[in-house]
Amino acid sequence: MASFKKRIIAVTAGSLLLSGALAACGSSDDNKGDGGGKSSGASKGGTLFFKVEDPIDHWDPQRTYVGTDISKQSRLVYRELVTFGDSDDPVESAKPIADLATDTGTSEEGGKVWKFTVRDGVKWQDGKPVTCEDVKYGASRNFATDVITGGPSFYVLSYLDIPADADGTPKYKGPYTKVGQDLYDKAVTCEGNTITYRFNKPWPDFPLAIAALHMMSPYRADKDQGDKSNYQIFSNGPYMLEGTWDKASGGTLVRNPEYGNDETDSRKALPDKITFQIGDKQETTYDALFADSGTAKCTVSDNRIPPSMFSQIPGAQDRYQNPESPYVDYLWFNTKKLDLPVRQALATATNREGWINAGGGDRAYIPAYSVVNPTVAGYKENPVYKDIPLAGDPEAAKKILSDAGVKMPYKLDLRYPQSDTADKQAAALKATWDKAGFAVSLSPEGDVYYSNIQKPDHNYDVGWAGWGADWPSPMTVLPPLFDSRANITSGSLGQDYGKYVGKDFNAKISEAQNSTDLDAQISALQAADDILAKDMVYMPLEISKFNWLAGSNVDFHVTPASNSFPDLGLIGLKGSC
Amino acid sequence: MDSMASRATEPAPSFLSVRDLQVHFPTSDGLVKAVNGLTFDLEAGKTLGIVGESGSGKSVSSLAIMGLHHGTNAQISGEIVLEGTDLLGLTPDEMRQRRGRDVAMIFQDPLSAMHPYYTVGNQIAEAYQVHHDVSRGAAKKRAIEMLDRVGIPNAQQRVDDYPHQFSGGMRQRAMIAMGLINDPGLLIADEPTTALDVTVQAQILDLLQDLQREFNSAIIIITHDLGVVAEMADDVLVMYAGRAVEHGPTNEILVHPEMPYTWGLLSSVPDVTADTDARLIPIPGNPPSLLNPPSGCSFHPRCPHKDKVPGDLCRTTLPDLVPGQRGPGHTKRCHLADPESIYQSEILPEIAPDLVEER
Amino acid sequence: MFAFIVRRVIAGVIMLIVMSLVTFLLFFASPVDPAQFACGKNCSPAIKEQTRKALGYQKPAVEQWKDFMVGIFKGRDYPDDPALRKAAPQLVAHCPAPCFGYSVLNSKTVNEEIKRAFPITLSLAVFALILWLLGGVALGCIAALTKGSFIDRGLVGISLVLYAFPTFFIGLILLKFVSIKWGLWDKPEYTSIADGGVFSWLSNLFLPAVTLAVVFMAAYVRMTRAFVLEAMSEDYIRTANAKGLSKGRVLVKHTLRGALTPIVTMAGLDFAGLLAGAIITEYVFNFNGLGKLVVDANRTYDLPTIIGTVVLAATFVIVANIVVDLLYAVIDPRVRVA
Repeated sequence: MASFKKRIIAVTAGSLLLSGALAACGSSDDNKGDGGGKSSGASKGGTLFFKVEDPIDHWDPQRTYVGTDISKQSRLVYRELVTFGDSDDPVESAKPIADLATDTGTSEEGGKVWKFTVRDGVKWQDGKPVTCEDVKYGASRNFATDVITGGPSFYVLSYLDIPADADGTPKYKGPYTKVGQDLYDKAVTCEGNTITYRFNKPWPDFPLAIAALHMMSPYRADKDQGDKSNYQIFSNGPYMLEGTWDKASGGTLVRNPEYGNDETDSRKALPDKITFQIGDKQETTYDALFADSGTAKCTVSDNRIPPSMFSQIPGAQDRYQNPESPYVDYLWFNTKKLDLPVRQALATATNREGWINAGGGDRAYIPAYSVVNPTVAGYKENPVYKDIPLAGDPEAAKKILSDAGVKMPYKLDLRYPQSDTADKQAAALKATWDKAGFAVSLSPEGDVYYSNIQKPDHNYDVGWAGWGADWPSPMTVLPPLFDSRANITSGSLGQDYGKYVGKDFNAKISEAQNSTDLDAQISALQAADDILAKDMVYMPLEISKFNWLAGSNVDFHVTPASNSFPDLGLIGLKGSC
Repeated sequence: MDSMASRATEPAPSFLSVRDLQVHFPTSDGLVKAVNGLTFDLEAGKTLGIVGESGSGKSVSSLAIMGLHHGTNAQISGEIVLEGTDLLGLTPDEMRQRRGRDVAMIFQDPLSAMHPYYTVGNQIAEAYQVHHDVSRGAAKKRAIEMLDRVGIPNAQQRVDDYPHQFSGGMRQRAMIAMGLINDPGLLIADEPTTALDVTVQAQILDLLQDLQREFNSAIIIITHDLGVVAEMADDVLVMYAGRAVEHGPTNEILVHPEMPYTWGLLSSVPDVTADTDARLIPIPGNPPSLLNPPSGCSFHPRCPHKDKVPGDLCRTTLPDLVPGQRGPGHTKRCHLADPESIYQSEILPEIAPDLVEER
Repeated sequence: MFAFIVRRVIAGVIMLIVMSLVTFLLFFASPVDPAQFACGKNCSPAIKEQTRKALGYQKPAVEQWKDFMVGIFKGRDYPDDPALRKAAPQLVAHCPAPCFGYSVLNSKTVNEEIKRAFPITLSLAVFALILWLLGGVALGCIAALTKGSFIDRGLVGISLVLYAFPTFFIGLILLKFVSIKWGLWDKPEYTSIADGGVFSWLSNLFLPAVTLAVVFMAAYVRMTRAFVLEAMSEDYIRTANAKGLSKGRVLVKHTLRGALTPIVTMAGLDFAGLLAGAIITEYVFNFNGLGKLVVDANRTYDLPTIIGTVVLAATFVIVANIVVDLLYAVIDPRVRVA
């Protein structure tokens, strides 16, 4: 479960439309904390303790795909060509700013060529300058797919203009075997400090993508030991690793003396030290944080407050924040098995309110009206989903079924990954569905759920899934979830769990992919979402909300850049522990 | 009591004098009277044989003399006077100090009676060290001497053997060495030969007699084997259901028994030298329950001669332990008026026809 | 005796070999695809296969097991692909014999992982063993000596109740209340002697060791009581009393020695089980010992670490069995057959 959560959470989006209530962190009723302002007494110095329950999978920038880890890296140790600023205004935040590059990049040939100039004077922790060659080497690592695993190499491999082998993979096999190196050296070039990327199709929001994902992060060839380098943080940012990183227990970051000026203003680097402590159960972490004594006063975590402890929140309101996350949970329908009226009836009778209440209520979720998160560019509430009452409308659903001549009760299975909470939530759905004329049986599964729903021959009816955008563009939501051409192969459904093959939808996706203009791309994708709703391919459930609590000496903020996690670039201490 | 009166006439106080010993165990089912008014005397250097079936109280009374009922729920009363001291009046610690030094005991099964994890020498030396302030080396030396004395060949080496490396007879010799190492005035031997091979039994008994002469110890030998008694004991005490039923010099008891239970015991002894006409006559029935002992004479339910007693006396009245026809030294607890003639005419011809003819 | 040991060792080695093979087969018989878990988001079939290769799972299970066995005896180099090793020597991780494997998910050899985790588990197990043996045997003796009294009934009753408590419950209570809420004891964080000295090592081990020891102690109180009572009824204890030995000496030298054999057996096997990792206690207190290593490896489908820890745990149990048998001979001379 935990592993899959991470895959789901692998969202790196900055956000466009974080609703004011959560982004401003001060206007919602239960959110009267000090998080709104940028300066509230935190000063330079002190040791911050950062608690994580499960080990961090990667510190290798090319291998990192988990949103909170990506934001940790760019705020603390790795500078990128472009990055996200410190703004808590969603629109402002989603504009990449120049970081390692002198500007935010220039494109030619309608977005098929991008150029950046690497700034002078940025140094690695050993005092050597960060060069164009380092940036070029970093990108090359994506191609060594049998060593550099787990990251977002998918995008680099499909966009960079390198010929493909018979099996569809690029002829370039990465910097270790150097097979096809000449092809890569043509696609990515350095002239002086200027790096040029050549793509095989337009990539109009390339800067946004590489601010959000670190596939193009610079990497020092002489420090690259493949998998052995995974936890060897070689920094060019304000902090560097003291001693070694231990996967099971963590490590300590201290100031990097070679770190110089930073024009981004998103790396305040206030604490002298940041100690990562891995392994405490989140219940244990929050027991200590609610008790708020000793080092807990200087502690923050990127595990959420467990719903069982929500009742303690009112006593610690001034240290608490409750922002929306960039994820959406939804139900997929097996479009090969269930007819359209059946899918429509299911959607109409879906009790989102019951699902939310069973899962922790309004601290835990807000209802969703599209599979696209509000933080993503071009988000709009889909009227089809907006019109369905939150508690579902079993009567209307029953009418749809009887009008279509469907024999009732209509038997079907609801599949979901098992947990105590999920069992209760599923029971809430079953109640209204049964009222509408279905006979629903609940079929929770263990870890196998995720591979089962990708099997091309699965015979499931309805299932749960979650998604977050890779960067704040619907291009990283709709095509990866519903484009049959990108997803369905002989061995796997990809993320198209409902086996949806939509001709009109695919056409709209192609239109978006070929547009050189971002606005045109977005309007094509909005049309695509309308097609999905018309075909009733999915039913959005909710957007989860984060619940954060820090020690009383911690001044923390959540920003779109940090994916609504505590932003380590802005965090500071008001006293020592 | 009559028996006390008869003894009181004797001049000097005995080495060991047991008076009206009662050992009772309260249980959830009621009071078990394991020993019920036992009285006897023993002179220094003499041997008393206590005979009886299992559960007759012979082992319980010997453990009472050792003070080994301490820590259990046994209720003990009466007197056990050893060399002028009432053992029952001692504190547990005073009794502990006498145990092994003044009174020693050897047990039926020498294998289970020795600790399997310690060497024979260690266990014997320990018995010495506890009562003598000597070094380990000295104690071990003494243990070797004793092992040698009880006839363990090559004692110097065998002292470091473990009990399981000894044969049964050797183990019992070692136990005797352990019992006698402190030169106790009284040695209680609880069925010392029962667990041994027949060929070894005689050797052990010889050894005991030998040592008795050397150490001048008094011995109480507990057994159900009248053969052992015949060989070892000066006096015999026959016990039944917690009481003495016949008591006297060994010759007297074996040749002129006056109590049907003793006859029974004699009838049950196989005699290899006797001719084949001799019959083994087991005592009918089972030993009585100590929770609800029979009324009157405890033996009456099994007694084939109770119809020779007028009236219902056997069933209603407990006979006293009094001298019978053979004089004051021989007491018995039986209502029969003329046991001697019954024995000679009815019992003896059955169990030893050759003896009858000789007469 | 020597032949006996040789026989037992050979049997143990065969068992380990079979077990490692079974573990490989079971791992790949599982319906969950381990490559899927390491693959990340947007996992296309091509990328998944490359991930599988990176993890070293692309060969048939039996082949992988053979490689593992070779690693045990000869050592291995990673990554598995010889062409890649030749082209990029900087990538190579050498794992000398006995090599348990290289975990791509931990970016370390399994040997290094075990070397890091084992001292933690060992410290915890030894501390707990001492606590529960001292406490369990002492209280068990007291209960046996006072059989039937209030003390005895109290001890037996309490140990029954504690025995029924799950470990995580005791651990959570100690952690949540004693340590965090009431602040009576600093929250334990394993500190090695080299890092913090003996005192800090002991004080940090204390709560987790107590957690482990309580349940075991409860079992050992009842066991010791039973065995001491049994020994007290032995004839040789009557003999010891007949010698005039003091109560204490009879208890310690004779009774306890007699009751020791089964206690030593149990303690040896329990200890071996703990050496394989006190999973729940380590998890609750966040001690990164073998138990937590096992849990994390299972959670992430990390085959090399699973194999390594399974084989190690089995080795502990097998060795403990042999050691217990040898201890028998030390304790009980009757077992010392020529």
